[in-house]
Amino acid sequence: MLDRILLSINKLPAFPATVQRVTELLRNEDYSVNEIVSVIKFDQAITANILKISNSAYFGVRQKIKTIQDAVVYLGQQHLVRAIQTASVSKFFTKKGYGDKASDLWEHSVAVALMSQILSRQLHQKENPVLYTAALLHDVGKLVMGEYVQDASKKIFELVNHHGYSFLEAEEEIVGINHAELGGRIAEYWNFPEEIRDAISLHHRPNLIDLDENILTSLIYLSDQFCLTMGIDGGMDGLAHRGFSEVTKKFQLREIDVEKNMLLLLDQLKQANELLRIVDK
Amino acid sequence: MEKESKISNMADLVVGISDLKCSRQPNDVIITYALGSCIAVVIYDPMARVGGMLHFMLPDSTLDKTKAAASPGMFADTGVPLLFKSCYQLGAEKKRMIVKIAGGASILNDADYFRIGQKNITAMRKLFWKNNVLINSEDTGKNCNRTVKLQLSDGKCFVRSSGGAVEEL
Repeated sequence: MLDRILLSINKLPAFPATVQRVTELLRNEDYSVNEIVSVIKFDQAITANILKISNSAYFGVRQKIKTIQDAVVYLGQQHLVRAIQTASVSKFFTKKGYGDKASDLWEHSVAVALMSQILSRQLHQKENPVLYTAALLHDVGKLVMGEYVQDASKKIFELVNHHGYSFLEAEEEIVGINHAELGGRIAEYWNFPEEIRDAISLHHRPNLIDLDENILTSLIYLSDQFCLTMGIDGGMDGLAHRGFSEVTKKFQLREIDVEKNMLLLLDQLKQANELLRIVDK
Repeated sequence: MEKESKISNMADLVVGISDLKCSRQPNDVIITYALGSCIAVVIYDPMARVGGMLHFMLPDSTLDKTKAAASPGMFADTGVPLLFKSCYQLGAEKKRMIVKIAGGASILNDADYFRIGQKNITAMRKLFWKNNVLINSEDTGKNCNRTVKLQLSDGKCFVRSSGGAVEEL
């Protein structure tokens, strides 16, 4: 089964070159918006989704945005980038993953991405576009694992419910690989930089990395925990994932911060309806 | 009439997070998805055939009074009283109320600060204890996500856990 799964990575469509280019540009802190626009304007599917997203209350723009030029003028740099990233990643969410429909996994992914920025602002006083992309993609492995895990779900739940396994450990035992590691391999196939690959591979196992060195991994892990707790889990794995108190300690997250962040995320999700709706059921 | 109401479209009243819905329409079904650490409180008066459901997220409204005023369903201490009052307005009575709860799940090895599920369960039990209300049945804790449904026609309540079958509560 594992061989078949690994082979199916190669059948995935290539990640749009557009996004790779944009991600590269973003890694440089003084990126120019014009350069980014010149990259995206030739990708019609992405452009259409950018326009849908741009009119979301989340970005708080009053004018109706009808063209990419409007988006550049009214959204501002940070939000424009956010819209580009969301639009381009969304096109891969055509499978249901572990949920009942494709939009379940997409909603979870957007929620984790929004939470990652809430945490980044609190802990580092700024948003982090690379973290946002990695967070949107953190469960990409579930797109490929979905059907195998759905078929094996009885065996997996036997281990989770009666033998003390986490969902991840049960995936390894039954399927031969866990969805996070598979996601890391997909990111590799798509030529994402190492820090994004590692963040995806280890987003359930922040105990395996140096927390100071790979900030993306621990922030995605934390954001994911928030969303699982709030029931925005995108599928049947539910809350059956392990918690590591060293991460919350490291970031000095108190219980009250956790609860307040849940309220913040809820507000943002309400405003970000358009971001959620670009993936069809 | 009875027949007609069954033939007409079953109306699903969806309760979002921090929300509550009540009804006395026998063909209504009240449903909430994706409970996680949140809790669904389901109440039903079999005589008046009035029922309601609350999907609260956090135990204590002192966390954010402004938010609690705007959406009381967000917290146990503001949501539960409102749920009961809303059902009284539709003709339900406290002494006949059947109370069921589901949710309050937690992450595995819950040693860190994500203990919201457990806190929610405790806060709610205390609240009912103080107000002399018995909880008739509950499906709480564990590590699964739950969907809960209440049929107004007969007060039956069903829970579907992530990865599990539908079971009557």
